[in-house]
Amino acid sequence: MGSLTGSMLIAANALLVQQGALDATSNNIANSNTPGYSREIPILTEAAPVVESNVTYGQGVTLQQIASVRDTLLQLRLYDETQQQNNADTQVNYLQQVENLFSNTDQGIGTDITAFFNSLNQLSTDPGSVSQRQSVLAAANNLANDFHGTVSQLTGIQQNLNQNVVQNVNQINILTGEIAKLNAQVADMHSMGQDGGSVEDQRDQLITQLSALTDVSAIQTAQGLTLTTGNGTPLVVGNQSFALQASLDSTGAEQVYSQGQNITTSIQGGQLGGLLTVRDQFLPKVFDSLNSLASGLAANFNAAHAQGYDLSGNPGQAFFSDTTGSSAAADFSVAITDPSLIAASSDGSSGSNGNIALLEAVQNQQLPSGQKPLDSYSGIVFSVGSATAQAQSASQASALAVQQVTNQIASVSGVSLDEETTNLIRYQHAFQAAARVITTVDELTQTVLSMGSPTG
Amino acid sequence: MRVNPNPSVDILAAIQQTQAQEQTALEQLSSGKRVNSPSDDPAAAAAEIRNQGTESRIDQYLQSASSLQAMLQTADSTLNSVVTTLNQAVSLGVQAGNGTLSDSNRQEIVQQVQGIITDVVQLANASFQGSYLFAGTETAQTPFTQSGTTVTYNGNTGTNSVNIADGRSLQSNVSGSQLFQQPGSDIFGSLQQLANAVQSGDTSAITDATSAVSGALNYLSGQRVFYGNALNQLNDDQTALNSETVNLKSQDNTLVGADLSQVATELSQAQTAHEAALAAAAKILPMSLLDFLPTN
Repeated sequence: MGSLTGSMLIAANALLVQQGALDATSNNIANSNTPGYSREIPILTEAAPVVESNVTYGQGVTLQQIASVRDTLLQLRLYDETQQQNNADTQVNYLQQVENLFSNTDQGIGTDITAFFNSLNQLSTDPGSVSQRQSVLAAANNLANDFHGTVSQLTGIQQNLNQNVVQNVNQINILTGEIAKLNAQVADMHSMGQDGGSVEDQRDQLITQLSALTDVSAIQTAQGLTLTTGNGTPLVVGNQSFALQASLDSTGAEQVYSQGQNITTSIQGGQLGGLLTVRDQFLPKVFDSLNSLASGLAANFNAAHAQGYDLSGNPGQAFFSDTTGSSAAADFSVAITDPSLIAASSDGSSGSNGNIALLEAVQNQQLPSGQKPLDSYSGIVFSVGSATAQAQSASQASALAVQQVTNQIASVSGVSLDEETTNLIRYQHAFQAAARVITTVDELTQTVLSMGSPTG
Repeated sequence: MRVNPNPSVDILAAIQQTQAQEQTALEQLSSGKRVNSPSDDPAAAAAEIRNQGTESRIDQYLQSASSLQAMLQTADSTLNSVVTTLNQAVSLGVQAGNGTLSDSNRQEIVQQVQGIITDVVQLANASFQGSYLFAGTETAQTPFTQSGTTVTYNGNTGTNSVNIADGRSLQSNVSGSQLFQQPGSDIFGSLQQLANAVQSGDTSAITDATSAVSGALNYLSGQRVFYGNALNQLNDDQTALNSETVNLKSQDNTLVGADLSQVATELSQAQTAHEAALAAAAKILPMSLLDFLPTN
């Protein structure tokens, strides 16, 4: 049998529940612009009914939980796309720096090579002229300087990459430490049947930041999330984080270690992956090409030079210093400073230009790479350009993918102010109605109390 | 289905995209180039480097050709003076062979012929920018020295060639010995012979010597054709190189140049898209249910 007291209690409880729902709405509105915030919805359920002689009396409403609305699968996709985007963006950033060294078609190694051979052609019109010999030396020194300049700028970029590897490793360690702490809290809350709420939001936000730095795969276990790198090196297991270390190897490149094991080559994603790709896969190719161009050009030219005679009739000595190996481009230099030592003559007479034809022919002679010098240089420009273009289109594609996933996540978890406003009105009305119930029951109680009284 | 309640991210992305399109079009318009860095079109950028290498080499060939031209012209006009001088010697020989001259008149002619020898030696020692023109490849050596009645050649028989185009070279000199002391057409020898003959007064010897000088003169005129030919060849070469430059420039433009009218169209399209994105943002962003609720 129903009672006034029962109705009163139901209404009083309804007031509390609607307040709780209003709270959730208010919190949603407050956090509508908070990054990583997942909207929360009050989970309302009917209270257990009471059955009395075949009549089932509802006992009002209970606020079971305020639950965050999230889709963990979308979250995992976001991690994946984020690491791809950051990988591509980092590559673009550094490749563009490299590309800039090869962008100017009016100067640089390519123009220097042609200018050098041009100066020889000019010398052939007046092989005895000291001033034209000087121009040949000047053109050769220009070429050497641009080799050095390019190499030193590439080395600068390499050092920059190394510093950023260390910074990234440090950031990863900070993030994994914090994620481990939050992970433990989330696991505790889940085990008690509670919603992870803002703690889980924060943790997911940190994992997104972590996946911007490196490739992360997340697996849900009983202890919470387990985070590993792409090849399975653990980063966070439950409440424990595993720090990475960076240390220099013998070549001066920073290597990444996890628990004593070198995992550098297995890091593919995120900014760190991008840094390592540019540093370990792209730059070495550019250096190799420059070195083989420098050493091949020097060797071919010296061979032709040795066949001629200088202004004093002596056999031509080395024109370029002997350069080989990994520092060929950095060591590329003109070995002679005396313009009379240029071996233009083919017979020892000072006015002969017979050997210049041989020297000029070096520009059409194949280097060990099988290419002519200028073609070899344009090959470098091509590979730099196409690597950059590839990274750029990867970056655009992944930016789009991130945007899509972010949109999908927002369509699930994002706060809609219109929706919250609607809810606000709903809960307000429910609250007002419940209050009205209390007033009505109060009046009824008054009526009951005044039953039989003379003034009634 | 629930949609993303916050469209600002998409709207900003759309605005940024149209801005990027505008920037690309602007960059292409202002540089006139479609390829502003290698990544814009790696193959075209690499081809442009090779093209520019060829262009720059052709510029050099043209420059070398004009240096050669100046040198060859100097040599040619020097030889022209030699021819004129030799013509004088021939007239002197004819005059001396007349047989009616007095001893003193003949003596005068001998001295004139000796003067001509000195003049020709001087002409044969002509130089261009500090290098002797007729010394073979011993361009730092004075090619001809005169002592007494003999003229000695100190140069060699070397010749130089200069590349004036890819795979084309031009011989740029003829040795002094070939020009002035060719056996049978020895200019100095025949002049000296003439001086000796006039000195002796032997008419038939004078006639012989005169015809020797005139033979040497004809020979030299024949040799001069080399310089004329070389200059003609340079002219042809320059014409060919200039038209190649035009070709290369147009190839360059095809490779990396921007189609300006197309880029201008793209720019205005991007501007329209930008305005549309902004207009959409202005309509969508301020919409809210709150605007439609009573404020009390």
